[in-house]
Amino acid sequence: MARLDTTRTSAHQLRPFSSSQNLLNRADGSAQFDFGGSSVLCSVVGPAEVKLRDEKLNKATLEVIVRPLVGLPGVKDKACERAIRETLEPIVISALHPRTLVQIVVQTMKDNGSILSTALNAAIMALLDAGIPLNSIIGSVTCIIDSKTNEILLDPTTEEIARAKSTHVFVFDNKSSIPSSTSASMDVDISNDDDGSPRPLFSESTGLFTEEEYLECVNISFKACQAVHGFIRTAVSKKIEKEHQQTQA
Amino acid sequence: MAPPVQNTPAEQQDGEQYESGLHVILPGDLLPPTQSQDSEDVVMAPVIKLGPGLQPMSDESIVAVKAGILQSTASANRWWVQSNQKRYVPSSGESVIGIVRGKTAEHYKLDIGAAHPALLGVMAFEGATKRNRPNHEASILGDLLYCRVALANKDMDPELECFNPTTGKADGYGGLEGGHVFKVSLGLARRLLDPKTLVLRLLGQHIPFETAVGINGRVWINSASASHTILVCNAIKNSEYLSPKECESMVKSLIQKM
Amino acid sequence: MASTSISVSAAESPAFSFSASTFQKLHPVEFFRKFISQGVRPDGRLLEGFRPTTVHKNVVSTANGSAMVRIGGTTVICGVKAEVAEPKMDSPNQGYLVPNVELSPMCSSSFRPGPPSEQAQAVSEAINRVLKESKVLDLTDLCIEEGKAVWALWADVSCVSYDGNIYDAALLSVMTALSDVRIRKPTYNEGIIKVSGAEILDDENSFTLNLARTPLSATFSLFDSSMALLADANAAEEAICQGEISVTLDEKGQICALSKVGAASSSQTLLRQCIATARTRTDELRSIIRSQ
Repeated sequence: MARLDTTRTSAHQLRPFSSSQNLLNRADGSAQFDFGGSSVLCSVVGPAEVKLRDEKLNKATLEVIVRPLVGLPGVKDKACERAIRETLEPIVISALHPRTLVQIVVQTMKDNGSILSTALNAAIMALLDAGIPLNSIIGSVTCIIDSKTNEILLDPTTEEIARAKSTHVFVFDNKSSIPSSTSASMDVDISNDDDGSPRPLFSESTGLFTEEEYLECVNISFKACQAVHGFIRTAVSKKIEKEHQQTQA
Repeated sequence: MAPPVQNTPAEQQDGEQYESGLHVILPGDLLPPTQSQDSEDVVMAPVIKLGPGLQPMSDESIVAVKAGILQSTASANRWWVQSNQKRYVPSSGESVIGIVRGKTAEHYKLDIGAAHPALLGVMAFEGATKRNRPNHEASILGDLLYCRVALANKDMDPELECFNPTTGKADGYGGLEGGHVFKVSLGLARRLLDPKTLVLRLLGQHIPFETAVGINGRVWINSASASHTILVCNAIKNSEYLSPKECESMVKSLIQKM
Repeated sequence: MASTSISVSAAESPAFSFSASTFQKLHPVEFFRKFISQGVRPDGRLLEGFRPTTVHKNVVSTANGSAMVRIGGTTVICGVKAEVAEPKMDSPNQGYLVPNVELSPMCSSSFRPGPPSEQAQAVSEAINRVLKESKVLDLTDLCIEEGKAVWALWADVSCVSYDGNIYDAALLSVMTALSDVRIRKPTYNEGIIKVSGAEILDDENSFTLNLARTPLSATFSLFDSSMALLADANAAEEAICQGEISVTLDEKGQICALSKVGAASSSQTLLRQCIATARTRTDELRSIIRSQ
């Protein structure tokens, strides 16, 4: 079945990712993450001085600010801030930097669907760039169930989301998906092994769907997230190797 | 950019490979057990010393918490992750450049780029006693001081001192007069501390200058003229992501333009 | 329970002991963990137990539809007000249905006055998405005259007393209030809208909403790394729990929304368990509404 997004041939194909880290000079860490026509820039400041009102004695305060593509932040952006903060809170080892602030600013640059996933991926790369201690890395993908074909489409565009019966955003950490020897490809193969069911760290689904459809989305998204993890690993490794080249000589 | 996604063969399972090559490690990666399954009698040294970027988990496995290069000393079983960041997190014994931001009867308050202001006792100078207050007493807001972190604890504000505690002498710590200070990444600052660093060596062949490098990412440069200082600053900032060859040509072109 | 004393470190210093309430204040998480390990909660509920729930319809006479919901110590009132508004340019025959949740300082000391808090906005948005994406109401039903006038339904939820699980309570109140809505039939004539002024509303001079489905939810909090599931957590439990799973179902058992945030990654068994418990709970809620 052909997709509305004609650049892709298969339902489980993700759009090409790209990313760059350390773009912003004044932030402690920054990253831009693109899923095809969706792009999010994220900056991280911290551990920095915290306002007395927000100070926590036993851990760092995490603050997420979401800026929309146009206009002022609204209710949607606030809900998005909460989703990102609550997803990152268990990932950041905040006990190592008590009485400090880790501020994450998320700015949408281009919006063509799957923006929450793009933002989460950008945020984790910016945290890595800032050197904030993390207990794992996360990867996020969005999928939809098409209302016409009942097919699960990964990484949908805005046009595809408009025709969706239900929308699902997932985050998986790399604790449950330590890269296996089988290389994850862009075209996600779902017929792979099934050792222990995938465990989502974050899941947000709306629309109308059944339990079976939901669990199928979990499994497909999990495979796709491994591709995202692999990509983050490659991107970060490249940056680190570049930094390292002078000391080797 | 890099659209094709491929997993790097990052999980190099056997020990020898990452001793020689670069072993890039990401948060959540487990430190491979040191051949514990091979033989029972080489069960690894009784103590593993963990440096920055590694944390022991509740189930006795060791997990990385920062992205960087996994480093280890072959003999003493010390492991750490060499990473780069911009925000300074104080650690005792490190030399930093601080800016005086305030003063009370007993302390100077210094900005060292960390989350909390650092405290420098007015007595923490060479030969300071209650009678004989050092001339840094005159320190005013905005002055630069080269100091050593005496105490760093995540739950307390860091404390500084301006003398070497083993000798009791200043040993180069103290006020920095004139010159210019600028910020670099912590990784570059650490590299600059090595006297063999390429960029400093190359610059030294052409321009005489003084430098103090704080491990908090602040670099102080002083030379005979402002134009020299600016050139040195730019050369250091540019050098971060260059290969040795590129670095050489960069310095050469800057010198020629002068 | 309050009279028993719990020894904290019996092995080292047997004399060092607190009353249960002191222990709770000093180590709220440890206090709680001791209960959880026994399979009960400090308020006497079992882990999967929901608090007693009551629903009252038509509690605000000035609103077009209203409901009051109590879930344990949480009380919310929802009023739906219909106003005539101009439709959007790109959807000239669709009305508006706008839910809004307000958490004022009146309902709990943890809320501050001023603009709506992040929590209030997130709950409003969650309800908005459920109403919109599971197509609860066909918005073209709210059209008076295409391109000229439509009904705007403001579903305002006001929290009177806050004791956790605001999403379940707010969604339940919104759905009950919507089912209670009665709007006077309008007539449109060259820019003037007239509604009947009859004292008694009947099917002749007014209409009710045709709700395609009634989504209701069940929320579970995740405690600790053991990921113990606590159904319908109260405010104190919410404060020490790290994560939440919320399942919203319609009467046919279709899932309308499912969210899992915070804590560690959850297994599919846990998710299945939540969906199954949510089925029983929402069925129970439906019978509570029906018995009203």
